[in-house]
Amino acid sequence: MSAPETGVADLADFASHSERTWREGGRPHGAIPESLHLDRPRAAGLLARLAAWRDRHTLRTRLAEAFSARQFGDEVGLPIASRADVTAFLRDLLWSRRRLLALLVAVNALTAVATLTVPRLLGALVDDTVAHVAAGRGAQVASLTAALTLAVAVTVVVQALLTWGARTTSAVLGQDVLASAREYVVGAILRLPLSRVESAGTGDLVTRMTRDVSSMSVAVRLGLPESIIGVVMVSFTLVALVLNSPLLAVPTLVCIGASLVQVRRYMRRAPAGYLYEGGTYALVNSTLSETVEGARTVEALGLAGPREARGRADLDVTGQAERYTMSLRNLLFIVMDIAFGMPRVLTLGVAAYAHTRGWVSLGQITTAMLYIGAIGEPFDQLVHNLDRLQVGIASTTRLIGIASIPPDRVAGDEEPANGDLRGRNLRYAYREGHDVLHGIDLDLRAGERLAVVGPSGSGKSTLGRLLAGIHAPREGTAQVGGVDLTRLTTASLRREVALVTQEHHVFIGTVRDNVVLAREHDEVPVPDAEVQRALRAVDAWDWVAALPSGLDTTLGPGHQALTPGQAQQVALARLVLADPHTLVLDEATSLIDPRTAHHVEGSMNALLTGRTVVAIAHRLHTAHDADRIAVVIGGRIAELGTHDELLARDGEYAALWRAWTS
Amino acid sequence: MRDFPSPTRAYLDPGAPAPDTRSPGAFVRWLFRVQITIWPLSVVFALLWVVPPTLTPWLLGKAIDTGIVPGDPAQTWRWLGWLALVTVVGALAGVANHTLIVRSWVLAIFDTVSLVTNKTLHLGHVLPRRTPTGEVLSIAGADGDEYGGFMEVAIRAAAEFAAYVVVASIVLSTSFELGLLVLLAAPVLAASAWPFLRPMEKWQGAERSRTSHLTSQATDIVAGLRVLRGIGGESTFGANYAAQSQRVRRAGVRAGAWEAAVEATGVLLAGLLVVGIVRLGVAEVGAGRLEIGQLVAFLGYGLFLVQPMRTFFQLVQKWTRTRVAARKTTAVLGQEEPWRAPERARVLPVDGDLVDEEGGITARGGRLTMLVCGSTDEAAALADRLGRYLPADGDDAVSVEVTEGVVGRAARAQRARAEAERARRARRDAERAARPWGVSLGGIDLSSADLADVRATILVGDASAQLFAGTLQEAVEPHGRLTRPQAEAALLAAAALDVYDALPGGWAGRLDERARGLSGGQRQRLVLARALAADAPVLVLVEPTSAVDAHTEAAIGERLPAARAGRTTVVATTSPLLLRHADDVVLVRDGRAVTRGTHAHLMATSPDYRAVVVRDEQPADAGGPR
Repeated sequence: MSAPETGVADLADFASHSERTWREGGRPHGAIPESLHLDRPRAAGLLARLAAWRDRHTLRTRLAEAFSARQFGDEVGLPIASRADVTAFLRDLLWSRRRLLALLVAVNALTAVATLTVPRLLGALVDDTVAHVAAGRGAQVASLTAALTLAVAVTVVVQALLTWGARTTSAVLGQDVLASAREYVVGAILRLPLSRVESAGTGDLVTRMTRDVSSMSVAVRLGLPESIIGVVMVSFTLVALVLNSPLLAVPTLVCIGASLVQVRRYMRRAPAGYLYEGGTYALVNSTLSETVEGARTVEALGLAGPREARGRADLDVTGQAERYTMSLRNLLFIVMDIAFGMPRVLTLGVAAYAHTRGWVSLGQITTAMLYIGAIGEPFDQLVHNLDRLQVGIASTTRLIGIASIPPDRVAGDEEPANGDLRGRNLRYAYREGHDVLHGIDLDLRAGERLAVVGPSGSGKSTLGRLLAGIHAPREGTAQVGGVDLTRLTTASLRREVALVTQEHHVFIGTVRDNVVLAREHDEVPVPDAEVQRALRAVDAWDWVAALPSGLDTTLGPGHQALTPGQAQQVALARLVLADPHTLVLDEATSLIDPRTAHHVEGSMNALLTGRTVVAIAHRLHTAHDADRIAVVIGGRIAELGTHDELLARDGEYAALWRAWTS
Repeated sequence: MRDFPSPTRAYLDPGAPAPDTRSPGAFVRWLFRVQITIWPLSVVFALLWVVPPTLTPWLLGKAIDTGIVPGDPAQTWRWLGWLALVTVVGALAGVANHTLIVRSWVLAIFDTVSLVTNKTLHLGHVLPRRTPTGEVLSIAGADGDEYGGFMEVAIRAAAEFAAYVVVASIVLSTSFELGLLVLLAAPVLAASAWPFLRPMEKWQGAERSRTSHLTSQATDIVAGLRVLRGIGGESTFGANYAAQSQRVRRAGVRAGAWEAAVEATGVLLAGLLVVGIVRLGVAEVGAGRLEIGQLVAFLGYGLFLVQPMRTFFQLVQKWTRTRVAARKTTAVLGQEEPWRAPERARVLPVDGDLVDEEGGITARGGRLTMLVCGSTDEAAALADRLGRYLPADGDDAVSVEVTEGVVGRAARAQRARAEAERARRARRDAERAARPWGVSLGGIDLSSADLADVRATILVGDASAQLFAGTLQEAVEPHGRLTRPQAEAALLAAAALDVYDALPGGWAGRLDERARGLSGGQRQRLVLARALAADAPVLVLVEPTSAVDAHTEAAIGERLPAARAGRTTVVATTSPLLLRHADDVVLVRDGRAVTRGTHAHLMATSPDYRAVVVRDEQPADAGGPR
């Protein structure tokens, strides 16, 4: 019998290759450079320490930029959209809600006006008071300024109401845009081309659906509306400052203008920093989830030490990311704190001079001081929210990227003449120049059962996928009833052939939702009686009927749990309802392994009866039970015939069979 | 001073202080205790950061009253100098404070992650029996952040309380009446948003739990995408997702409206306070008891006091959530291992017979024994017994999380029930662990040896054994003890060279999380290679080739005896391709040995055996029609 290994042509090859890639003594080095370790020697002297910190910061910048480049590089499985696409996407979402958006901007503008009116009124009040006192009307000053005081009170009430309106509108808009965005992304996932679904792992998709959606959600729900609020508030405050007294506005405008250099630098670095940070925490979580889910394995193999070390290594990297973003923020904060603190000092200096010249009144000074005090927070918030928005947009590029995958087939309008499946000269390559199949010819008669056996890597799964219309052959044709499988619409392909894999996923949803699947587009909803019949056919009706709400019981994690056998039956009932005339069973051995659940065998037979079946078999009794057996080795059909014919040939199959039965 | 990473080694290192899990509050106090070198200093810097700005309005008033109004530049410059100093000190202290806060926050997260990791490593297979995996992971994923956030707010609140006191003394010494107004108004303002907090938190909670449900639905769709795209159902589950997405949206809008109400109330009351100050202050100025600059300063304080009030709200809200988080954390960390070390531990031999008294099953020392069981579950249960693992009872782990919408007494009752159930199971496990185990190696019952000795001597490779992310080399020999030829031999024996070949970089090739990128068959063979590479004196394998094709299985069958030559090996399988290489085969029914012999002997003599193994009542090589 030939060794199942392929590729590493022989053992000598393996040995020499193995020698090159083996790392003596186990684990690779830590993930972070030596100079970043905490216990490194400390430099003496403040300047030397500062220089050392600078070097570390530069090194961390490189790590962060490299990480973020990897996230958006070519290595990831699914494509990534351009920033322009995301901007267009968000613009469309906002445009379709332009009234709400206009309302948000309007209410916020009014809020800003009300907010800014209060200091202005207070300034006027101060001026009046000074004037009254100077004129010797000090005793009546309270009643003389009562109208102004009342005006402040009214403005405050209006301001509070508008604040409520602005915040609520922002929540409505943010939540609405977010809901549309995530529903759009899930819609795109549900339209992913079949070939993409079958070949790509789900890891990348899971990351996108969890991490990227949550980062997008922060950006869209908070970052987007709050940025709008921030822009309105900051620009209105600056305008109000200038209106109050152009002279007193100068220091603020200069300081904020100067701080923008640092703000821009921060904004350029921050997204990569936060992506890096988020990515390292994802690493921590994925290591921990491996440890928890594999707790039994860890205990059995005594892996506590290595797992702890792995966890610590992850935290080391996360620590670096935290230090990096912390330094970025510190560099920003010190500039911003000065930029918002110094205008007060400078303005007061200018004011002192201007006041002696009679250019500005005390009231104007008061107003300017209150404005300067009030601009810090919204500006701070604006920077913070633009930050969120940047990170969110980066994540959104990955989400919108899912939608950019083109369909893998163009359906024609031909309908198959009959149910005969036929492959001619089938060739297929996952990588260019590496054919996995080398010209396979295969005809299946309606109702026939064909077992495909062969060593791993021989191409039998690929053959199954071509016959199920998942992939189009690189060369040759795979047809049903004279029509190329990949020229059928998804709906008609599903009526012809279904690929059944080892997974029998039970969805979070009702039993009915879990079974109806293929028939969801029927004009009349599938009647309960028919669902019942499908469940009966696979012997599942008894336990379904006993569930608390019968067909309406919600299944899935966190709800009604099913035994593996029951899950298998649900998977089979789906196929009974789908009713394709051909089934391709890939590694579905656990589905038909009689020992996992004895009664499932009967369910399986109920499903298979009357259908054409291609069974990619691991168990020889499956092969033995088939009408014909194809032995696939090295991408070619080495032997094809009935069990008896192959035994008579005394080849590969016969050798295996003897090993099986003697 | 403590600095991150340096995570805690509690539960693994007896010297490291273990957290106090007697109550949620005790746990949070413990978190502060292990950071005793950091947070007092944080408070100092926070003070330096928060208090100087409180002086700003006062300095401003001084500059106006003594400099600007009388037109005295020397006085103006003097106060401006102070103002500049205050600004710079504030900025520097702000950076120092931020640095220390980040340190506390990150350490709180790292400690939480490490505590969960360490507890998991400490409890091993016992933990998933009691607590749903998701609950364990959410502690590390979310609760650590909650504690970090709580520490930040607590430190800030302490500093702002001090600032409040400073402001109080300034205003009281300036004008008693106005001072009293400002000081009394602050708590009233703080209390005023109270009625809105509860509905706000309720909807925020609803948004959170609905979002996590939504995320499950999304990952569910991704996990079942092959089915959805292959068979159909995109519309149904797309619509289910959209419906939940809208429920999240509604909860989010409601929460947003209440948040807006809290914010608006703050704006209204702070504004009315300013109105009050102005009304009173203007009269005072008119009466000549107050300078105009002092009035300007009071206006500044009126606005300033809003911040400590907000912080106070945050602290209260944060504490509510922190307590919920701490309750979940202590529920996991408070669990004890069921095992007690035997008083006089006996050392297990490496070459004795492995005997299960209950089932009458014997695996002879140094030989390859295969068990043919009626079902995978039966095989798994038997392997658990042979390796001293607590049996999978079939009931799910107990969740201590309270269902959404259940509040108050009902929530407490639900939680109490869950906790009682979990405690009951812990007692049951401890009782089982204390009894003689009923399986012996070389005549020594497994319960009279140290558990570490049992684990080191008997390796059970169960059907759900998991691979970990890392290099191929780490996957095959995670301990870094083997020589290259030994690892190569293990890979070869498990017929897993194609995995080596498929990974770019060979031994240095990387596996992703749980080796998801490999096929089921490839994963299974790597698991087998790892088990063989571990070279345990006794190896118990459950269905090691169930996902492997017949060709490869035959190759593994041929190589297995040599790979385990002279070591005790037990394999639960029904594949004749493996069974024919066994020294002894035992047919097991309902956990008991029915008959034993070699494969050839049983094939010839036992129809029961043939029925299970080749599933054919007729002589198989007759090859009759199906």
